[in-house]
Amino acid sequence: MHRRSFVRLLAAATYARTTLARASAAAATEAPTVGAAQKNQDLPALRVVSSYKPAAVPGMPGPFPGRVVAVNSGRSVDIATGKADDAVVREMMARGMRALTGAGTTADAWRRFFEPSDVVGIKVNCGGYPHCISAYEIVGEVVRQLTGVGVPVAQIYVYERFQNQMDECDYAAHLPKGVQFVAAERANRNVDNSGYDSATYLEADLFGEEDTRSNIMRLVSRQLTKIINIPNMKDHGATGVTGCLKNIAYGSFSNVARTHSGGKSHTYSVVGRLAAMEPLRSRTVLQIMDGLRGVWHGGPFARTTRYVFYPRQIMFATDPVAVDRLLLDIIETERRAHAAISIWDRSPASLKMNDTRARDADPNVNIIIREPGHVEYASALGLGVYDLKKIKLDQLTV
Amino acid sequence: MTILALLALSLPCLYWSAGLESRAALEAAGIKRVCVPADRADSWRAAGFTVTPLTDAELASRERVPTPGITPRAGVASPTRAPWVEASGWRFSRHPAATFVYDVPAGKAPLAAAEAFAYGADAVLKIAAADLGALGAMLAFLETVPPVELPAVSDFAVVDDGSAVTAEVMNLLARRNLLFQVVQSPSARFPINIRIGTPEYPRTEAADPSAFAQKIRRQLTDDRRALRVYGSEVVLCRLTADAGRARLHLINYGGREIEGLRVRVRGRYADGEVHVAGAGRLALEDRVGTDDATEFTIPRISTYAVVDLRTAR
Repeated sequence: MHRRSFVRLLAAATYARTTLARASAAAATEAPTVGAAQKNQDLPALRVVSSYKPAAVPGMPGPFPGRVVAVNSGRSVDIATGKADDAVVREMMARGMRALTGAGTTADAWRRFFEPSDVVGIKVNCGGYPHCISAYEIVGEVVRQLTGVGVPVAQIYVYERFQNQMDECDYAAHLPKGVQFVAAERANRNVDNSGYDSATYLEADLFGEEDTRSNIMRLVSRQLTKIINIPNMKDHGATGVTGCLKNIAYGSFSNVARTHSGGKSHTYSVVGRLAAMEPLRSRTVLQIMDGLRGVWHGGPFARTTRYVFYPRQIMFATDPVAVDRLLLDIIETERRAHAAISIWDRSPASLKMNDTRARDADPNVNIIIREPGHVEYASALGLGVYDLKKIKLDQLTV
Repeated sequence: MTILALLALSLPCLYWSAGLESRAALEAAGIKRVCVPADRADSWRAAGFTVTPLTDAELASRERVPTPGITPRAGVASPTRAPWVEASGWRFSRHPAATFVYDVPAGKAPLAAAEAFAYGADAVLKIAAADLGALGAMLAFLETVPPVELPAVSDFAVVDDGSAVTAEVMNLLARRNLLFQVVQSPSARFPINIRIGTPEYPRTEAADPSAFAQKIRRQLTDDRRALRVYGSEVVLCRLTADAGRARLHLINYGGREIEGLRVRVRGRYADGEVHVAGAGRLALEDRVGTDDATEFTIPRISTYAVVDLRTAR
């Protein structure tokens, strides 16, 4: 059997069942506690420099802490082609937003978060191009709903850190004319700093690097009033998973690749610290987890379909921790289905430091000791609810 | 001696062994001062050039300087985050009275000229002919930098025992923009005096100069450093200052233009400007002062920039 066909069939079989329930049940008994991850006494000193004050109700965890609405649809993506169905996605979005807010209409649901004067950033994820990026259908529907509540298209910004990644994804071809596109750097070459705010940063000496600052994007600190976070369901070599927290934190600050090196990852504490920084924390008001497609190994990249799977669901929340807590189990369950090592694996035997080729070839190879405990750490910072028993998950099917 | 004459002496000198038939190429590059083989000095002088004759023996007696820039070093340096930087500022500081010669491949002449100029090194440049235009542009820029002589700022001292181990320690300290003065014996002026081979700084530790430099950094602490650079790992600096002003030389070894380089200098400075090779005089951006330091952003730097600061009253 052709490998691609095998993966498709496996993915279809896996997600014909209720993914979340199965994943959560597994995780409830097997997810290690934070003590198994990076110990607190090993945490680096992090100094936050920001003059921004928190909102009365910061966007994270927002008005619905511990609340997640997951909308599934087997019709949302054709697994054979990878193509999404725009109408089905639109219906999933409407159902999800109404369920999250309790609003009677979809427009009212969006009005719960946005008003015409807002300048809204949409934090997409382009790192998984071409097979797993923030879906055009979801981003397009977000823009449609924002304009529907009166936000002018010129006040809507789709953003990422790297322009070359944005160029690859080419959201402009899928969105109304007038939507703004902003990247802080031309590419990941460590030479473009002017897109970052020199006055707002996290300072830390993690591995003896000289450049000890990670600065927030100027767009985020000086222009946007609200942010919608649209991550993907992806595995990540340094953090275990990359979900809401990682996407909004590492996608809004400079010089973050320095947090993981030589097999060790400081993402355990840095992800949450960045996400908790003002004004990012207050302005990020909505989490839309794009689980139409996912990556169970080799993330955050998806240059081939080998590790792509199809959860075919979208999650809605204001609490990034709760979503990411569920994501941990989704990725873990998918890896288990492929007999891959756990995202919680800390065995030196699994570690081939910096050997990305070995990692890409073998899902039982880590290039860094992963830190999936970053999700629980973020909870301790007040960003949301980690305890599965306290997470209220509503599952809908379209 | 006039200021212009002094400035000309502080500029690195192009060593040009070709005959007078190459005159047009030099003139097109705007280069009017050359170092030439002694037997050709008169003809170049007659052609209107400012000439310094150099015999083969004089040339050979000069200390050879490695080609500046970044080089791949698998397993030692990360190509994107912390590349291996070949820089010679420490060499010039160690032997300020010495004479030097660069012999650099195409593309490196402007960087070599800037490096030598930043440290006031007596340097001769042997370059690829393809670099004439770029070198001419750099030399023209260096001539526009207002001549200022200020003492170098140092946070600590390194006692020079003349050894290769100490040389590599100096190299790695400079690589991290840890500002030091080379001394022949411990100096009471500095809270930290590094003498390799003492119990505090054993030779075994110095054998790993990168880790050793980190040790010194920790000992000094970042807060107490006279200079910090944010936004690049490949810009190395020389800071000079007196009570009224400061001059900061910044050399970008990375080969790519950097936008928005953030700098923190110890001391309170009210105003300043930056002279950027290839861009001219620019305003410093986002300047802020704290109790004991001044921060600002250099809008862009391709190869070299000079920041002049005036002390707050």
